[in-house]
Amino acid sequence: METRKFIFKRLIEIFIIFFVILTLLFMLFRLSPGDPITRIVDPNMTPEDAEHLIAQLGLNRPIWTQYVYYLKNFMTGNLGISFHYGQPVTSIIWNRLFNTVILFTTAIILSAFAGVFLGKIASWHKGEKTDIWLTLGALVCHTLFLPWVALILIWLFAYKIGGFPLNGMISAEIWTDPSSSYWIKFLDVAHHMVLPLLTLFLIHFGSYLLIMRSSMLDTLREDYILTARAKGLTEKVIRNRHAAPNAALPVVTSVGLSLAFSISGGALTETVFSWPGIGRELVFSVSNNDYPLAQGAFLLIALVVLLSNLLVDVFYAYLDPRIRY
Amino acid sequence: MKEPDRDKKYAARSIFSDRFLENWTVFSENLLGKIGLTLLVIFAVMASASFFTPLIDPMYHPMTGVDPDISYSAGPSMRHWLGTDFIGRDILCQLLAGARIAFMVGISAAFMSIFLGTVIGMIAGYSGKVVDTLLMRLADMIMVMPTLLVVLILSSLFGQLNIWIIVLLIALFRWPGVSRVIRAQTLSLKQRPFIEAAKVAGASHFRIIFRHILPNVLPLSLLYMTFRVTSAIIIEAALAFLGFGDPGTVSWGMMLQWVWKTGHMFQAPYWLLPPGICISLLTLAFYMLGRAMEEVLDPRLRKEVGGE
Repeated sequence: METRKFIFKRLIEIFIIFFVILTLLFMLFRLSPGDPITRIVDPNMTPEDAEHLIAQLGLNRPIWTQYVYYLKNFMTGNLGISFHYGQPVTSIIWNRLFNTVILFTTAIILSAFAGVFLGKIASWHKGEKTDIWLTLGALVCHTLFLPWVALILIWLFAYKIGGFPLNGMISAEIWTDPSSSYWIKFLDVAHHMVLPLLTLFLIHFGSYLLIMRSSMLDTLREDYILTARAKGLTEKVIRNRHAAPNAALPVVTSVGLSLAFSISGGALTETVFSWPGIGRELVFSVSNNDYPLAQGAFLLIALVVLLSNLLVDVFYAYLDPRIRY
Repeated sequence: MKEPDRDKKYAARSIFSDRFLENWTVFSENLLGKIGLTLLVIFAVMASASFFTPLIDPMYHPMTGVDPDISYSAGPSMRHWLGTDFIGRDILCQLLAGARIAFMVGISAAFMSIFLGTVIGMIAGYSGKVVDTLLMRLADMIMVMPTLLVVLILSSLFGQLNIWIIVLLIALFRWPGVSRVIRAQTLSLKQRPFIEAAKVAGASHFRIIFRHILPNVLPLSLLYMTFRVTSAIIIEAALAFLGFGDPGTVSWGMMLQWVWKTGHMFQAPYWLLPPGICISLLTLAFYMLGRAMEEVLDPRLRKEVGGE
């Protein structure tokens, strides 16, 4: 089937891009000021220990050998040991990936649905007060600065008005209590997730709303809408069952296109809310000069972005039968 | 006999000013454009004011101006209209200096990325299959990467970044978006008769690209520049917020980082609110400007600048 061939081709492209990124990271690490040896070797070590460490890490071998080992390590899933945590990088980032995914996908799905729904409403009442307020609101929310929105939300809802936790993903008391059920734990996570979710939602729903609105206005001019009217269908049915599903397609494309931006936003949100996800791990590891972890987190994020792009494209093809790869 | 004189007078008046007036009327009728332009003027005034405040009193210098009496974070007062930060520096002055930095970073990064994107887009659209495919693959690869995270990784390798390096990095990762559009426009322009005429007349490729295609593509470039400014400002602010900005410059993101990291977030709304409001307003202003300019600059609505 053609879709399978398309997916296969894209996977090969992703593989190539990934390979290029790996190589670039490898080269950059070697090119950066301070060679790897001075980074890893503690000045307090005795010369014999330093020699031993260097030989163990393979830093005294020629560059090509190091490169081959680097690739081999990566292919077998060995991303090194984090300087800061002292544990294998792979286990750390796998841990964090789940947290990021639940926050991020929920936020994107919620804002996409809200954007489509509100954009649809805005286009119905084009030019009227509802439309003006919705569009203006979307515009303002779209240009708000994400960390600032996060800080304001924390200030308002966690400090002033209270009712929401300051940061983190779980409350230690609930999770270490052996008698709490899964439902209570789930509620706890959900409780912690409200503010980060709200932040991401506010920033993203605006662009989806604007796109849906303009797409809806275009769709309503199409011929098949005229046919539907001629058939005698009510306006409501026309808008909801005929126009809106078609108008929602550009929103799907927009989700795919803005994925890189959304991931950056996700990293910022995680950092401010101390949500233990990949984005926060990346930021912290960079601050701590924990190079293996930073590289590992970045590579995983890159992989997620590439795969998500592919997913969105396939989903779009599924939604729109006219697209044939 | 009067006619030739009149013709000469009309011919002498430059096409540029005619165009400009015509554009201005379209532009100024758009409400968004007016609001955006007003906001921008306000910020520009703020930015220029930042040059003068240290001259009034050394206490008002954004980085080093410490009030001898207040060395903690205090609320708004007569001397400090927005209060002071945690070591007694005036917040309003920091805000003004931040406006200057924001303009500088935004416009330089946008200009560089537009320059790169336009040149590469034109070359890709004009040249044959191989160069085009190569360049567009490169653009795809770069476009997929989240800029913020890439700059983070690079700063982990190279240590604290200078503000100009940040500008350069933002430009290097932002050009793909505009190059796609320029390439599409170039592809459609390539088929026009005036290009063929130029080729027949013996114009070199270089001349064709820069003398004939560029003027038609330029309005689109300028349009995208306004959007690039917004993303450049946001990226720089986010970097400064996370602590990876240039420590020697006071930008709005830096101010937010200080509020956050020094734990004054809850007690000092006069410190927390202004920088964020400014970032959002400036971004909004440029965005509105861009949307208003779309009506003026969208090439689908305008006739092309003909080749000769």
